[in-house]
Amino acid sequence: MGGRTLRALAPLAAVAVVALLPLVVTDRFLLKVFTFAGINALVVVGLALLFGHAGQVSLGHAAFVGLGAYASAYCTVRLGWPWPVGFAVAGALAALGGLVLAMPSLRLKGHYLAMATLGFGELMALTFQEAEPVTGGVDGFGGIPFPSLGPLEVGDAAALYWLVWAVVGVAVLAAYNVTSLRPGRAMRALHGSVPGAQASGVDVVGVKVRTFVVSALLAGLAGALYAGVVGFISPSVFTLTASVTFLAMAVLGGTGSLAGPLLAAVLLTLVQYIDALIPGLPQEASQTIQSYREDIYGLAIVLVVIFAPRGIAGLWSRRGGRGEAA
Amino acid sequence: MSLLQVRKVTKRFGGLTAVDDVSFDVFEGTIKALIGPNGAGKSTLFNALTGFDRPDSGSVVFAGAELVGRRPRDTVRAGVARTFQNTQLFDELTAGENVMVGRQARQRRGFTAALLRLPSALAEDRDARAEAGRLLRLIGIEEWVDVPAADLPAGIRRLVEIARALATGPRLLLLDEPAAGLNATESRELVQTLYRVRDAGITVVIVEHHMGLVMEVSDEIVVLDRGRKIAEGPPRMIQKDPAVIAAYLGEGGDDDD
Ligand SMILES: Nc1ncnc2c1ncn2[C@@H]1O[C@H](COP(=O)(O)OP(=O)(O)O)[C@@H](O)[C@H]1O
Ligand SMILES: [Mg+2]
Repeated sequence: MGGRTLRALAPLAAVAVVALLPLVVTDRFLLKVFTFAGINALVVVGLALLFGHAGQVSLGHAAFVGLGAYASAYCTVRLGWPWPVGFAVAGALAALGGLVLAMPSLRLKGHYLAMATLGFGELMALTFQEAEPVTGGVDGFGGIPFPSLGPLEVGDAAALYWLVWAVVGVAVLAAYNVTSLRPGRAMRALHGSVPGAQASGVDVVGVKVRTFVVSALLAGLAGALYAGVVGFISPSVFTLTASVTFLAMAVLGGTGSLAGPLLAAVLLTLVQYIDALIPGLPQEASQTIQSYREDIYGLAIVLVVIFAPRGIAGLWSRRGGRGEAA
Repeated sequence: MSLLQVRKVTKRFGGLTAVDDVSFDVFEGTIKALIGPNGAGKSTLFNALTGFDRPDSGSVVFAGAELVGRRPRDTVRAGVARTFQNTQLFDELTAGENVMVGRQARQRRGFTAALLRLPSALAEDRDARAEAGRLLRLIGIEEWVDVPAADLPAGIRRLVEIARALATGPRLLLLDEPAAGLNATESRELVQTLYRVRDAGITVVIVEHHMGLVMEVSDEIVVLDRGRKIAEGPPRMIQKDPAVIAAYLGEGGDDDD
């Protein structure tokens, strides 16, 4: 069957395109844009689980990215620890933050998680500003070295790109395993009906908490990668705007899917750097796009929710149904 | 000794006593019907038995263990499965996957095993898939296995929910109006399913308005009216009970088709 073969080949084709891209795209800035797309994609894989599968809304994931970014910067710069250790600490700290936040708010019914994540995001944004001795305050935290794996420094634009997308690849694989087996069914189950899930013996709170922690962990790892790629971080990066952007990517990507959110993460990142992509674009046009970016995201979310609740993923799945994550 | 002992269970909502001092027994291997007019407290009683509503007083002993105070998930694991009057399927999942979720109540491998795609996690996945197929066949709806729950006709939704409840491996199955939304053929098949379930050693309590079905399948009937138990006994006695006729059959005894 043609459709089936296509479905089986699509992931392989995607991997090939992503892996070979630096051989085609030689412009360093453009490559950096695709590297940022990978960093965003890593966060969005987590949100594809949390929102797309378990149906939970987070308005604070930029805070976990920030937590990971500052943690890895602190570990490598101040403590002189090897980069992989800082990377692991970034993930662990973000996961811990996620656990502390999720445990109380997920026990309560209703939209406490969305509100708690919103509050947490604002609190962390403030902390990044005020905790000057650790974070460098509003002036930011600079001089962060490139990532390195043992003696191997990952400093070249293509190498950074590959590092980021390799991490994304591992995360997608792990997420695919989770979503295609029992935990993914449990997530989609509680999204569909909490009483039904309880009556089936699903540990509703446990599944929500685990999913949230995993999504926070991935955001923390993304933060560590961001710090290593850019070399400088400041509180202005890890704001509500960034959280909303991540959520927009997950919503546009569609529920019950991994491929949709990944694609949405790449597309929306490209929109963010549209001037680099279309060199001839008049200054005013790109400025207009940038200044209305949040409104565009907001409008896009509303349109998707109304007309295509299954998002990008709904475009290729028959009838938009079927939970099978690709 | 009976499998389930309901003792003096009372549940109030504000000033309303939805379930009022109700006691009865369910014996292993039997089918018991719980009937009564709308608002009599049948669903509330089911909720009290399965941890969804905590009764204000009373006790529910299942296989020797107290159920009151347990969470729904723990009552399932203890061996009490249920369906809902308003079907609670997972619309994001196919019929087969819905049933697979029920099977999770009996499975051990968790998040990490799945994340690493360990052989044990894959084995459980195959087991759940096989069990789902077996139960859908038992109920006679195996052709719907790959259809998203959101696309299932109302009657099939009810039957899938029964299959999902059975997948949790219960000793006691509580069915809240399983024949609602079923056509005549489906109702007849439901009766056969109930017998097959009972013959598999599973005890059944069924809330149902369809009197023909109730009289046919049940060994014993409990009648509730405005929260109180007004009668209990075998079908032939209940049909003749003046209190029941007054409260229930008198006003709604036209279901018999
Ligand atoms: N969560 C609730 N809050 C308030 N009142 C309720 C609630 N659940 C049920 N009731 C009331 O309790 C009574 C019994 O309801 P229910 O158990 O659903 O009846 P039945 O299933 O026999 O039709 C009804 O009067 C209903 O309105
Ligand atoms: Mg009811």
